[in-house]
Amino acid sequence: MQVLFQRKKFNESDLINKFSLDNKNSGAIFSFIGKVRPKNQNNNVLSIDIELYEKMAQVQIKKIIKKLMKKYLIDDYLVVHRYGRVKPRENIVLIVVASQHRKESFRFGEGLMDWIKVKATFWKKENYSNSSEWVNQKETDREFIDFSL
Amino acid sequence: MKILYFAKLKQLIGKSEETICIRKKKKISQIINELKKRNDVYNFAFKESNSLQYAVNCEYVDLDFFVTDSDELAIFPPVSGG
Repeated sequence: MQVLFQRKKFNESDLINKFSLDNKNSGAIFSFIGKVRPKNQNNNVLSIDIELYEKMAQVQIKKIIKKLMKKYLIDDYLVVHRYGRVKPRENIVLIVVASQHRKESFRFGEGLMDWIKVKATFWKKENYSNSSEWVNQKETDREFIDFSL
Repeated sequence: MKILYFAKLKQLIGKSEETICIRKKKKISQIINELKKRNDVYNFAFKESNSLQYAVNCEYVDLDFFVTDSDELAIFPPVSGG
């Protein structure tokens, strides 16, 4: 049960394989990887800078996880979110969840990602060839949030 | 009280944090109004203060929340991680 914020790249296969081995008695392993798109609304993205308010992000993600764990019975989770400069096609975020049955890990993983998009204190700035632009939170990011939690 | 700025707001103000002294508890909206009076930079940065987000000691709060000198107030645009 781990939440990691790091500058360095991560190898998703290594982390998922290790997580799966660590949870060899679970019947389901869910994984989600968020990556940098090389194009966003017709702009070529050269890199993105991810800013982090680490203390608050830790507090918020732990709160979300606590709420989700009351709702879904899971065995284990791993969250890795990068900050600093990230290049197109590189990973930004990894969520891996283990549970006895698939629905718990699907719903836990999806719910966690939905909440991260609206509560975890990260901000992305896209860098193009001649300019930069802060990424706005999308209205659709709030659409799937289960505010009853 | 320590104030932290992030992302576009940090860029507009030109600093990531500052400390102000407040003698008695105040609403965040009062603090924003005082900051806006400082100069054009602050006035512009907080022009749309309703669309910014506020956190005290790592918990989301709204503009009506009261803060004291020992609090850490963070002000930032809506998050965009993931």
